[in-house]
Amino acid sequence: MLLEVKDINVHYGKIAALKGISIEVNEGEIVSLIGANGAGKTTTLKTISGLRPLSSGQILFDGEDISKTPGHKRVQLGIGQSPEGRGVFPGMTVQENLLMGAYTRKGDLSGDLEEVYELFPRLNERKTQFGGTMSGGEQQMIAIGRALMTKPKVLLLDEPSMGLAPMLIAQIFTIIKEINSRGTTVLLVEQNAQQALKLSDRAYVLETGRVVKSAPGVELLNDPGVRAAYLGGELGH
Amino acid sequence: MKGDGVTAKRNAFHPVDRARDWWADAPQWQRYTVYLAAIVFALILPAPWIGSFMSPESDWTTVLFYPIGTYILLAVGLNIVVGQAGMLDLGFVAFFAIGGYTLAYFGTKHGLTFWATLVMGIVLAAVSGVILGAPTLRLRGDYLAIVTLGFGEIVRITANNTDEIGGARGITNVPHPEPLFGMEFLLDPAPYYYLIVAAIALVIVFSVRLHKSRVGRAWAAIREDEDAAELMGVPTFKFKLLAFAIGAMIGGLAGAIYASKAIFIEPNSFPFILSATILAAVVLGGAGNLPGVILGAFVIAWLPERFRFLAEYRILLFGAVLVLMMALRPEGLLPSRQRKAELHEGTGGMGTLAAEVPGPDSDDTSAEVGSK
Repeated sequence: MLLEVKDINVHYGKIAALKGISIEVNEGEIVSLIGANGAGKTTTLKTISGLRPLSSGQILFDGEDISKTPGHKRVQLGIGQSPEGRGVFPGMTVQENLLMGAYTRKGDLSGDLEEVYELFPRLNERKTQFGGTMSGGEQQMIAIGRALMTKPKVLLLDEPSMGLAPMLIAQIFTIIKEINSRGTTVLLVEQNAQQALKLSDRAYVLETGRVVKSAPGVELLNDPGVRAAYLGGELGH
Repeated sequence: MKGDGVTAKRNAFHPVDRARDWWADAPQWQRYTVYLAAIVFALILPAPWIGSFMSPESDWTTVLFYPIGTYILLAVGLNIVVGQAGMLDLGFVAFFAIGGYTLAYFGTKHGLTFWATLVMGIVLAAVSGVILGAPTLRLRGDYLAIVTLGFGEIVRITANNTDEIGGARGITNVPHPEPLFGMEFLLDPAPYYYLIVAAIALVIVFSVRLHKSRVGRAWAAIREDEDAAELMGVPTFKFKLLAFAIGAMIGGLAGAIYASKAIFIEPNSFPFILSATILAAVVLGGAGNLPGVILGAFVIAWLPERFRFLAEYRILLFGAVLVLMMALRPEGLLPSRQRKAELHEGTGGMGTLAAEVPGPDSDDTSAEVGSK
């Protein structure tokens, strides 16, 4: 098992955001976390990448307990994240943004850059443009490309479809599939449950800080409860 | 990372931008010519014929040392904290005070030489920067600003109430520096001016080197998005602490040089308003861009001196000019391109103060993409 989250609790002040969440991600999988606003999806990702401290529980990565490891060291272990709201560096060019992803690595990076530009030809065309002047979809590409530049074993994606037009969402999901087929494990957080479940090997449904259901993606797609809650009920496909 | 056409070059019609592009590609000899010209300029600046216009009411060389030179030195230091690392520090005067008091105390009570006390002042300022930073740098934006504001006041009030360092009466007979290169440091302000010019030059070289290094890249990332920087593997806390310590060192250096000329220092030499003024200089000039910050500090220090004949009205005028300039050029007199892009995005404006708030342009993405 690549990533194992064991019964974690996370608090914002006195308010419990996560109440004993357990998640497992195997090597090579795409796993989704779906759920409504405030269910704890983003907090879960932030806790895995080290941006939030946990109150109790354990996070194991590659069999190693990383619960107390600071965020910047988890990057080197192989946890890459595209954060909520993209987090593109607005005053850096596209290429400078991508190179920030390789901040901890030395040596020749041209091969890695090449690979990201091949996945996102759009970024190649605009590599000298400031990140802040790019459109939402392009910023999402930067955020994902930048996370790939950290050479992650597991890629954490926080709502990659947020604020994007349907055509672009489809494109981003195709690229996620491609990244996965090249050997990177993906843990995906999405409100766009339909698309996420189609793509995922397995998925967890989160509600107010707890896992209420976990099953293979396709199974959840046909689950009446999940359909009613997250896929627009019987109005869905 | 720069060069290879990877750095943005846009709007190359504006003269400032054109100068920037020229500078970015200028060959070594052209750069050294400019450095040499700057040094010659600094050396002839105290000339009386310049002074008769720049400062008709008071001694120009004295004005060049304080406030102008001292403000520039402080602003270059504060720029590392505010402009490069993006942390709002409202108590920068504390380090200025610590540098000054260290020199005055060890010079008068223990008879140590100027250079020894100067180094001690810098080290003590750095240590106090770390002591202040270690517990508080987990705070962001306005919370950090309030804590630093408090620190500035704590230092001043502590000095006011500590008899060992003179209490409210301060320290008198602070020793002058020892003669250097045949220059006697007595009442003539010229040698002090050259001393502070040397200090400014040194600090500028240091600051530019840092800016271009991995450290500078880490600071830029922290300033623009701290969480994202951590996700790139940047040890954000360590680098914020480093920025704080380096800024403090420069503040301490400025304080020590200031005290060595002033002969007499007291707690009220280091009021809160000085922190605010230096911050205004950094922001007015264009935080993060060194030429801008130096220009800003010069303007802030010089304007009230130039308009001394207006007596009490000059401060009113000064305030009006500040408001006007910030309204017309919110990004500063000479902003860096990077900073302009950050402000446009609505993040990173005053460091992390505004970082959590998306700008008006950051949410129209679906419409923009949909129309393509």
